[in-house]
Amino acid sequence: MLHHLYRHKYVYLLLAPAVVFVFLFHYVPLFGWVIAFTRYQPGLSMWDAEWAGLEQFRRFFVESNDYLYLLRNTLVINILIIITNLSLGLIFAVLLNELRSRFFMKLMQTVSFFPFFISWVITYSISYTFLSQSTGVLNSILVHLGFIESGINVLGEAKYAWPLAVGLEAWKSMGYTSIIFIAAITAIPSEQYEAADIDGASRFQKMRLVTIPNLVPTLIVILILNSGWVLSSNFEFFFIFTNPTNWERMQVLDIYIYDFGLKQNNYSYATAVGIVKTVVSLIIIVSINALSKRATGKGIF
Amino acid sequence: MVYKQSWGDRLFDLLIYLFMFAVFLAMVVPFLHIINYSLSLPAKADGQLLLVPRGFTLDAYKLVFTNESIVHSIFISVARTVTGTALMVFVTSMGAYAITRDDVAGIKFFRKFFVFTLYFSGGIIPVYMLNRALGLTGSFWVYILPGAVSVFNMILIKTYIESLPKELEESARIDGANDMYLFFRIVFPLSMPVLAAVSLFSGIGQWNAFVDTQFYNAMNPELFPLQYVLYNSLQSITSFEMYMQESQQVVVHLTPQSLKLAMTVLTVIPIMIAYPFLQKFFIKGLLIGSIKG
Repeated sequence: MLHHLYRHKYVYLLLAPAVVFVFLFHYVPLFGWVIAFTRYQPGLSMWDAEWAGLEQFRRFFVESNDYLYLLRNTLVINILIIITNLSLGLIFAVLLNELRSRFFMKLMQTVSFFPFFISWVITYSISYTFLSQSTGVLNSILVHLGFIESGINVLGEAKYAWPLAVGLEAWKSMGYTSIIFIAAITAIPSEQYEAADIDGASRFQKMRLVTIPNLVPTLIVILILNSGWVLSSNFEFFFIFTNPTNWERMQVLDIYIYDFGLKQNNYSYATAVGIVKTVVSLIIIVSINALSKRATGKGIF
Repeated sequence: MVYKQSWGDRLFDLLIYLFMFAVFLAMVVPFLHIINYSLSLPAKADGQLLLVPRGFTLDAYKLVFTNESIVHSIFISVARTVTGTALMVFVTSMGAYAITRDDVAGIKFFRKFFVFTLYFSGGIIPVYMLNRALGLTGSFWVYILPGAVSVFNMILIKTYIESLPKELEESARIDGANDMYLFFRIVFPLSMPVLAAVSLFSGIGQWNAFVDTQFYNAMNPELFPLQYVLYNSLQSITSFEMYMQESQQVVVHLTPQSLKLAMTVLTVIPIMIAYPFLQKFFIKGLLIGSIKG
């Protein structure tokens, strides 16, 4: 045994830094969960905090009903984003495939993929330029043309929060989502199209009856992979776009945790809410995985 | 093959091209507008969509580049992008090679040890408390160390290494090479395509990051990256004016909006330069990932 360890000492040496970093930054924080069961005061030692049992969890579920609007916002926004992104990505990929000019196809792919790489700060700067109530370009043009009396406050009003989140996510990641579908389209055997040609199918029929049905398995796999993340939101987006006038419909669990924890210094409560989020997410992943294993024989793990 | 086009086919084509045109506008016009606005005189440009600059001027850029805070923040952004990416690539690829070595005792356990973290995280507050306890608050290293290992990238690299021909390793081993030599002289150089891909992902992530500054360095202006300076100036007029007061020149015909957009463009330019590579490698990386899935 010792001989084996010694003979492979360099493998362990190569492994060591990664193990240390992962243990430190991914496993050690799990011990921090302890403070959710205490009344921890920032600045004091974790071990001196007074034991509180399930008090923090009770506060979240019994004494307040914040979880109602938080779960609603988190679930609705995330599910809408997943559905919109996948359908737009699929439609875009299918239509790209119908373009006859390779140059135009490449151009569209290049153009649509770019917003995926820019930061949410930049996206905010662009959104503000176009959508701000008084000076936004879109609002100015619409007012000028007489379609609306005064600018629409898309960035500030609660009723526009969901469309704003879904729209910006779609703008940023449609090109990205389409790549997976484009790869799946190239894998469709050409015999299927030839057979359709012999049957006299039109292009639209080929798209509807050959291309799209072939993409359904890919679509299902991506849906399953994404499902475990419905409670985790894109922190950066919500961090920038949640404001005092639209929070009712924009605030999600992650931002609530941040607000209570780091802004109001209520670490114990915020950690408790974080635990609820992680545990529910894990239950969702495990059950979806079990379902998918039973239905298709394939799972994520 | 001769295409015989029916009316239906032509209508179909027309609809596709209309859709594509709409997508093209939605993706290109916003960038075109902000670039042109940053190059225009605000008095002539306000309230309209700009497809060319109006009243061309570079004053907004001159002002941005004479501002010490902004120039320093560019330095911080570049520093964290280079250092963070280099460390991530080394630590992660070493780990990735190690977990391909099934023949070594305990490796299977460590593979699970890594993958587990993809599904589980301590959450915002415990991570914050850890970083504070480690003394990373108020330091540059908080941008670098927590991201030294990316398990997602590790799996990409591992998949790539497993696809390399085994004969190379075997013949080197017969020649007496040890595992350290094998990794650094054979596996690492051969893995360049995937390493380039993960470097680009990581570089983009580092360049775009701003939330970590808000969490750990909001009180340390000397550690603000460009994204955070831009975020601050977008958030409030006051912090924006603070930045501008430092500048030696005062240019009256500019507005906060034209300066903000000049900064925005400045922040996007490196991504535009890297974009041709990103597109190539990202698609590759994505496909390696999907083979695994």
